[in-house]
Amino acid sequence: MYDYIIIGAGVIGSCIARELSRFNVKVLVLEKENDVANVQSLANSAIVHSGHNPEPNSLKAKLSVWGNKLYEDMEKELEIPLLRTGAFVVAHNKAEEEQLFELAKTAKINQVPEFSILDYKEASLIEPNLSKSVTKVLSLPTTKVTYPWEVAFAAMENAIINGVEFKKNSLVTAIRKENDKFYVTVNNSDILESVHLINAAGVASDDIASLIEKNVQFKIKGRKGEYFVLDKRVKGFVKNILYPLPTELGKGVLITPQVHGEILLGPNSLEVEDKYHPTTSYEGLTYVKDHASMLADNIPFNQIIRSFAGIRSTSDYDDFYIKESLEFANLYHLGGIDSPGLTACFAIAKYLVNDVMNVNKKYALNPGFNPYRKKRKMFHRLSQEEKQDLIKDEPLYGNIICKCEKITEKEILDAMHGPLGSNTIKGIKKRTRAGAGLCQGGYCEEKIMKMIAKEFNMSPLDVAYDKEETKLFVSETKVKL
Amino acid sequence: MIRDIVVIGGGASGLAASISAKKRNKDVLLIEREESLGGILNQCIHNGFGLEVFKEEYTGPEYAHKFIEEFMDLKIDYLVNTTVIKLDKNNDDFIITLSSKELGIRNITARSVIISSGCYERTRGQISMPGDRPNGVITAGSAQRYLNINGYMVGKKVFILGSGDIGLIMARRMYLEGAEVLGVAEIMPYSNGLNRNIVQCLNDFDIPLYLSHTVTNVEADEDKRLSAITIQQVDERFNPIPNTEKHFEVDTLLLSIGLIPDITLLDDLYVEVDPKTKSAKINQAYETSVKGLFICGNSLQVHDLVDNVSKESSRAGLSASDYLDGLVTNRKKIAINPGKNILYVAPQYLDFGWVEKDLLVSYRSSKKIEKALVKVYQGEKLIYQKRRAFIVPAEMETLTFSYLELDQNQDIMIEIEEV
Repeated sequence: MYDYIIIGAGVIGSCIARELSRFNVKVLVLEKENDVANVQSLANSAIVHSGHNPEPNSLKAKLSVWGNKLYEDMEKELEIPLLRTGAFVVAHNKAEEEQLFELAKTAKINQVPEFSILDYKEASLIEPNLSKSVTKVLSLPTTKVTYPWEVAFAAMENAIINGVEFKKNSLVTAIRKENDKFYVTVNNSDILESVHLINAAGVASDDIASLIEKNVQFKIKGRKGEYFVLDKRVKGFVKNILYPLPTELGKGVLITPQVHGEILLGPNSLEVEDKYHPTTSYEGLTYVKDHASMLADNIPFNQIIRSFAGIRSTSDYDDFYIKESLEFANLYHLGGIDSPGLTACFAIAKYLVNDVMNVNKKYALNPGFNPYRKKRKMFHRLSQEEKQDLIKDEPLYGNIICKCEKITEKEILDAMHGPLGSNTIKGIKKRTRAGAGLCQGGYCEEKIMKMIAKEFNMSPLDVAYDKEETKLFVSETKVKL
Repeated sequence: MIRDIVVIGGGASGLAASISAKKRNKDVLLIEREESLGGILNQCIHNGFGLEVFKEEYTGPEYAHKFIEEFMDLKIDYLVNTTVIKLDKNNDDFIITLSSKELGIRNITARSVIISSGCYERTRGQISMPGDRPNGVITAGSAQRYLNINGYMVGKKVFILGSGDIGLIMARRMYLEGAEVLGVAEIMPYSNGLNRNIVQCLNDFDIPLYLSHTVTNVEADEDKRLSAITIQQVDERFNPIPNTEKHFEVDTLLLSIGLIPDITLLDDLYVEVDPKTKSAKINQAYETSVKGLFICGNSLQVHDLVDNVSKESSRAGLSASDYLDGLVTNRKKIAINPGKNILYVAPQYLDFGWVEKDLLVSYRSSKKIEKALVKVYQGEKLIYQKRRAFIVPAEMETLTFSYLELDQNQDIMIEIEEV
């Protein structure tokens, strides 16, 4: 019997789990995927927005400005990576400049700190590759970039250390409420009980709600976004995030420097039929290239190493939907958490726990709560002295497994263990970046496959890319080597 | 201790370069990141290697073994399981930072460096292939390694995109292991592999080759495994032609869509790069724009035959020795430019300071030419020409001529005339 069951372990579910672990409550997180951060949190722009864009007085406005500030604390407590890029929203002509001034007004109402308007000349001194067609920019220095996977890992690892249980590969297939208790069926078999139920299922949040509610208050209309990744060799091409002016479709195609040096181009924004299978398309990717070219000149398209599509869980409700169910007490929905959901995730968790669920009035604090979490070491980013120190005690830091990203054997072993250890190729990639570079795993996947097999005492035939069904091999060769 | 030469990469290229330099009494250290020497040859268990160098046909591992034997006999120093993580310059010397379990992180100083780090496979990301991103889309070389080194099959129903040699070899290999190989699609109107591989790997097994076709959709099943692909014919500008779709239910899509020289180690040295070869520009001695830094094998230009890698790298080893022996003086260089119907040339420069008096140029044509006249001009002056029949982009061509009489102030241009 749990006090709280959270459905969904994206950045939202993970942050809620951590926030609840401050209290003396029994919490379980259920995730249908084989890892945290595997759907919406997996594929997005990684931006911590300033809060300049949302409708004033909306939850989105309030929680994104607050969430942006909280990232500064979380950098210290959870060692979440932050790249303080700042951002430029660009205008190309008089009409767009008018919109830019309007946007600056919104930024002011939303209490975005330190924003200013620069003309092309000033802006191009900071961003020499800024498109020459730009006339003015709105500079938003508090905008930053994080690493969404690490946000989820950090929050969930910290939650686990503070007593939260996490179950992956656990699809919720039925929910009913009887005698003030929720009965949650997982994978059509196990039934779990909880006093409270939190629906943080992202793209699936309306489907989860419909397992128990007659009149679900929001409908998720999946919007896909397609992206290109430019190799980290282009680092410095832009320092700020470049935004076009927003439209009702969203913030538009951006150029976004990433924490590890790559640059993202995208996303477009297309409503899709199948919200569970965002795919890239020739047209979509061409759109991204064309629109990115309106922000900067001479984009090094020849350095593209990957394209991908992500899904936003946009809803028909105009704002974040963070409310108690109208039909069932103690059931809480987080619907329509699209952009700026990553920005707001820590604030969303605090708002839900303290202001919506009033957990502080129902339960005592967890006396053993430890807010700190040490991140896994990224060896190649350390100083020469630190490296030599570490390697003395742990020679496996000397063995490079992923040569593109310079990830060592020790880092990969670390990613297999600990509170959120992984035994999949994708899980290792998300935790260490092994396979995320130029050759996209061409050289290191085999080595990691062998390490997983050895470390977990598995046959290579059982090593999977992600879910159990995605095994790397179908059989042995005819002649056993 | 300052080494004469550090060779980075212990495949076909690095072995040959080390051997030729050692035979000139140079102090050579070879660094290899894998656990054994031989490089990609170790996973190429098919035959067809060595016809030019040994006048005999070997498998990849046998070919590698011939070189490894000679390498060992010469007692050349080498390190395996060791990755070079940084290459830098200190005055005239090079600082090589290497990393391994045994040595930790360590700097080595050398008077010259030979890069023989091979190439990597182009991935689906680099060609922006549309559709889902399921498990089961894998580069041909990776699948080859899994099959031939690890002993595992990546799938049972296979389609191959790209007609590069590895793709063709893998079509046969998968077929012989019992997989159903449904076809090979090539976006160009001609094959990118050697003709002998088209015959021996596709035709002999009735595997269809779809020229001017590419993959335009990738579909995944519920579990994010590859379930089907769509190929489509493309027009001369590579745009898919509507209503030419062909649908194949497959569990594996192998990619053989090109190899790219791996020169990431050169990033800190600001070496002049040729966007056509995607590698460093060199002079005829395989020296980059950085004095004393040489490059050869597939990290210089992607070869069709390993025999040519060995021969080229052997020459690079001799060049490094000449450099160390102080035989290079009075440097003065002119450019060698690709002209009509030429995809690329290497070397891109001719340096008159080097002792060799014959210039060997490798090049590829940009299209299939049945009757060709290859011409070399210096300004208006035709300085060399030769006739060739059946020039195709998939097969590297070479030409050799003396540069003794050349004007040292004017660039050279190579072109192919259709006759």
